[in-house]
Amino acid sequence: MKILPPTLREKKRYLVFELVSEKNVQREDLIREIFSCANLLIGDVGSSECNLRLLKYENSKGIIRCNYLMTDTVRAVLATVNSIAGAPVLIYVMGISGTVAKATEKYLENENIFKPNNH
Amino acid sequence: MNKCKFYDCNVHSFPERTSSLSEIADFAKHLGYSGIVITVHSNDKRADIDLDYEDDELNIYRGIEIVTDSPSKLHGLVGKYRSKVDLISVHGGSEKINRAAVENPNIDYLAHPITPKDSGLNHVLAKAASTNNVAIDFNLDLIIKGRGGKRVHSLLHFKNNLKLARKFNVPSILTSNSFSIYDMRAPLEMIALSKLFGMTRDEAMNALSNTPLRILEQKNKSNFICEGVEIIN
Repeated sequence: MKILPPTLREKKRYLVFELVSEKNVQREDLIREIFSCANLLIGDVGSSECNLRLLKYENSKGIIRCNYLMTDTVRAVLATVNSIAGAPVLIYVMGISGTVAKATEKYLENENIFKPNNH
Repeated sequence: MNKCKFYDCNVHSFPERTSSLSEIADFAKHLGYSGIVITVHSNDKRADIDLDYEDDELNIYRGIEIVTDSPSKLHGLVGKYRSKVDLISVHGGSEKINRAAVENPNIDYLAHPITPKDSGLNHVLAKAASTNNVAIDFNLDLIIKGRGGKRVHSLLHFKNNLKLARKFNVPSILTSNSFSIYDMRAPLEMIALSKLFGMTRDEAMNALSNTPLRILEQKNKSNFICEGVEIIN
């Protein structure tokens, strides 16, 4: 199928986040928890409007793609993520960008990660 | 955006809970806060422990959260702690205590006013809070940690309280009411969460930066009498 011309494509935003946790969190567990939290907070209709997708996730940092009008709702959903596989976690959104390239350049490189238990 | 200084007014720390003060301070800085208030419950045996932690970039204030069942004791405790700490809050959650708290101008804010039955505020209390300049707390941990029916009720009560706060011009603040670093949330996440119950972005920004800052500056002065009155030498 022919791809849509850029003007007809849905506008997106890319949220760069940091996952603070004492344990290493698996990608599958993170996806499951985010979607379960989205389902509980905004339901199926809201989730479909947000059009969430986890793009990258490695080294406690990742990028989530969503609809450009729903960034605040997605932030709220990410804020309600408490624990993954029994361990307490926290998701901190470091920044938002309109393209993956800029998001990676601005936030994923040269950004320090908070490590609990270093105190 | 970056000009705003954000303050979280209700962080419970190590003497009581799991995270140490240095960990909390580092994390608050990481999240982008300019200052936090470490609150200790007044019924905790170690309530008098001093904060021996200094930080150049982060302002750490000492606060006390008064826990009591009787309104008369509450007023006594306020007198006892007023000169010792930067911020006095009251552990709300019952009708009697909420009422006593909003009627005392020496109290800075009423923490988690929601009672098991209702939102903990009505037009009478809101009016009193506005007159005495006692801020109302929206403790977002109910939305962050709550699930299901409990969260539904919390959102509903927050909506009611917000309506009253707007009508009577009551100062409102957003707090995390956190017991460890995993309960804290970054300022923009707090703003996004407050949007869920109808707060506008400007209101939420004020509730996180201007209002707490005003409370901390104003009541820090030892010669503070009441709103609009100052001593001229």
